[in-house]
Amino acid sequence: MEVEKMNGYTGKILKLNLSNRKTTTIPTSKYEKWVGGHGMGSAIFFDLVKDKTIDGFDPANVVTLMTSPLSGTLTPAGAARTEIQGIGVQSIPIGWFTRSNFGGRFSSMLKYAGWDGIVIEGQADEPVWLDIRNNTVTLRNCSNLSLWGTDTWECQKKIWEYVAGNQMYGDWIEPAGKEGGQTTQRPAVLAIGPAGENLSRMACLIHDASSGAGQGGFGAVWGSKRLKAISVIGIGSIRVHNPKALMQARLWQKKNYAFRLDNLKRKFMSVDFQSPPVPGTLYRLGKPSVGKRPQACIGCHSGCRGRYEDGIGNEATCFATLFYLFANSLDIQRQANDLLNRYGLNAAEMFWGELYLSDLHRSGILGPGREVDCPLNFKNYGKLEFAEQLVKAIAYRNDGLGNNHPFGDDLAEGFVRAAEKWGRLNGANGDLKTGLLMFPFWGLPRHKEARSQLDWAYGTILGDRDINEHGFDQLRSNPTYNKRWGIPLYGSAKEVVRIYTDKMVPFQGDRQMLDFSTENMYSEHIAKLVTWHRYYTRFWKQSVQFCDWRWPDFLNLYGPGKVGSTGIAEPKFLNAVTGKKFSFLDGIELGRKIWNLDHAIWTLQGRHRDMVHFADYYYTRPSSTPDGHPEYMPGRKNGKWRYIKTLGRHFDKNKFEEFKTRFYRLQGWDTSTGYPTRRTLESLDLGYVADELKKNNRLGRG
Amino acid sequence: MLACTLVHEGVENPSLSRIQIIQNPFESFPDDVTIEQCRQCVDPACVSVCPTDALRANAGYGNVRMIDRTKCIGCGDCIEACPYTPSRPVAVSDEKFNDDLKVRKCDLCADTPYHWDDAGGGPEGKQACVEVCPVDAIKFTTKIPVQEGDEGYKVNLRGTNWRRLGYPIG
Repeated sequence: MEVEKMNGYTGKILKLNLSNRKTTTIPTSKYEKWVGGHGMGSAIFFDLVKDKTIDGFDPANVVTLMTSPLSGTLTPAGAARTEIQGIGVQSIPIGWFTRSNFGGRFSSMLKYAGWDGIVIEGQADEPVWLDIRNNTVTLRNCSNLSLWGTDTWECQKKIWEYVAGNQMYGDWIEPAGKEGGQTTQRPAVLAIGPAGENLSRMACLIHDASSGAGQGGFGAVWGSKRLKAISVIGIGSIRVHNPKALMQARLWQKKNYAFRLDNLKRKFMSVDFQSPPVPGTLYRLGKPSVGKRPQACIGCHSGCRGRYEDGIGNEATCFATLFYLFANSLDIQRQANDLLNRYGLNAAEMFWGELYLSDLHRSGILGPGREVDCPLNFKNYGKLEFAEQLVKAIAYRNDGLGNNHPFGDDLAEGFVRAAEKWGRLNGANGDLKTGLLMFPFWGLPRHKEARSQLDWAYGTILGDRDINEHGFDQLRSNPTYNKRWGIPLYGSAKEVVRIYTDKMVPFQGDRQMLDFSTENMYSEHIAKLVTWHRYYTRFWKQSVQFCDWRWPDFLNLYGPGKVGSTGIAEPKFLNAVTGKKFSFLDGIELGRKIWNLDHAIWTLQGRHRDMVHFADYYYTRPSSTPDGHPEYMPGRKNGKWRYIKTLGRHFDKNKFEEFKTRFYRLQGWDTSTGYPTRRTLESLDLGYVADELKKNNRLGRG
Repeated sequence: MLACTLVHEGVENPSLSRIQIIQNPFESFPDDVTIEQCRQCVDPACVSVCPTDALRANAGYGNVRMIDRTKCIGCGDCIEACPYTPSRPVAVSDEKFNDDLKVRKCDLCADTPYHWDDAGGGPEGKQACVEVCPVDAIKFTTKIPVQEGDEGYKVNLRGTNWRRLGYPIG
């Protein structure tokens, strides 16, 4: 195939059929109108999966791994992400078409190798791994390297050695032969661990030490396809439309919006662009005091991970570092997060799940021979042995000590499915009614207190997964930590709301979008907030793949008048690399189109508005934080902007119904069913999607 | 690496970078990363072995050693002569020369068709790696570093603010 030369793209997407072991090529230009990442992934999925109602474990399920035109470029916090999509296996009542995403250096390496993405279909007849060296793509059996059964770290190291052959890392190597060029880099490998091999629905994909695609259970999907790993090493170039403009944009961003070591405004990590490079660890007993460095994904200006003198917990952040909260020591908790990465388990589900098991044990319900027969040795609770037994029980579907036991098998299906099997969801005091089991959306674990952070609650329940999008999280964390620890406020509630909402085109200036008071919970304004967030993230964050922890840059203490770079910066980088003439609003509009396509896929899978509900406890139990501290967010009180307390409330079921109607109307969907309408889809040039919905009796009226 | 290839070649490609950063995510700090830049040796072996005088000091750029690609025959002698691992000169097939092998070497951004600053680079100008580094981990110096061993080139540049961020400064 003649490969078209494209700025920011390599021009081709690799398509792998595991069933017949054939690889083919899709020209990137066919999907270029979607720009990259999620948009391309959804469009490819829609085209290739004819029956959208299949299960995630069906060999016909297609998994896409897509880069962005910015992957591997100098864009700050925008060069490193890989978007994964396909039908997941983690959520209930069915596995929705879903997404996950990870950083590191996989997407950049894939592009240096000459590929804009990988599309995986079918199922191999024995365990395999994919070996990509530039244009040479080889599907290899795992048996030759004894990869099946290895943990994710061991698997990566074995592949590194194999690819290097008799050459040594640290020097130039020629992994693709003399004609293939030379590199000093190790291959970027994405692998599943034993949890994925054994089809645990909370199995994830791991790259390097702790870059994980955790949500959706894609580790199990790979396991069902008998795909252990993808390794890629690339030595080619990514074309850049205007190299000078890209460099200038990078230095402009650095000078005006990034932290400065000689002028630190904050010494803690924050989830925004201005953050200094401090590891985003959340260990109960604090930060490791050993020698360390900040470690960044490729191209990032502000690394959020650490590598440590003792080598424990390298690169781990966020939920991985929360797991096993009550470990006896910091080092044990750090080692426990390494276990999650090595065995390949979703840290969020493991964090909340482990606390649930502990609660049940303390209540006398769970233990050897008890109502829930559990082989875990709680005498070891706090020691590493306990965490290891739990992790292994789920990864191997046994007692965690190598013996058959249904407990591990139950948990490998996910904590909600396990609780259901144990009869814990029945009756008025079922664990999803009391909130003992904190899995409020689609059987998936809690993240933020979403009865406070409404963008999080609605974005998740109207979508497919915990959104894990922190664009508005500073509105909660800054005033909350100000009250709690005295961290300086970014500004008054009124000032902050103005800075944020001024950037939220096309709804800019509607201040009430960020009024998180109880009175405003179901309003048209909040519907607009959720709408804007869906569109922004679907395009700028998940398709162009600006990093969630650094973008959008709303409020920035280094910026003029505290105004961040969002709205100007995103298109500046995209256009410098590709030569496109995208405006920020163009991106929001394309995000709308992608959101509509995703929603159409969920509708084809069987979604109806009546299914869209939180777990019962979200309607009856007041919101709270695990440590009991209050939370504060912007809101209006007596007509004036304040930072108001947002805990202690719950959703009202009837009012949530009214909110859904408002939201569906705003999207141009059928309010009685939530189905997309032909008029809306055709206005987005998605008439072919309307046709498929019509064929399946799922096209909305209107 | 990304800035280096961008200003020199107009593309993104770590294999063309004159500075190489090699990482091992499973290794312990500080051995998890090695930063290998050209040392601009006082007595550069790469220059003395070049059979075509393609690699020589350029008086127009403060005598930084630069490669004249029209003279370079891609023999690789400079690469062999470089005493460091990985070798700092890099040989790549060059589209502008019918894909013949031509060597690249750090020139302190003197020959950068895509330099962002009108004043350009070189010893008197701005170097891409120095300018772009967010944590000031690399600096240009006119003082001649200790030539023996790594002491003169692998330097702890952590200032006091690193301690404020929770990092020991050594």
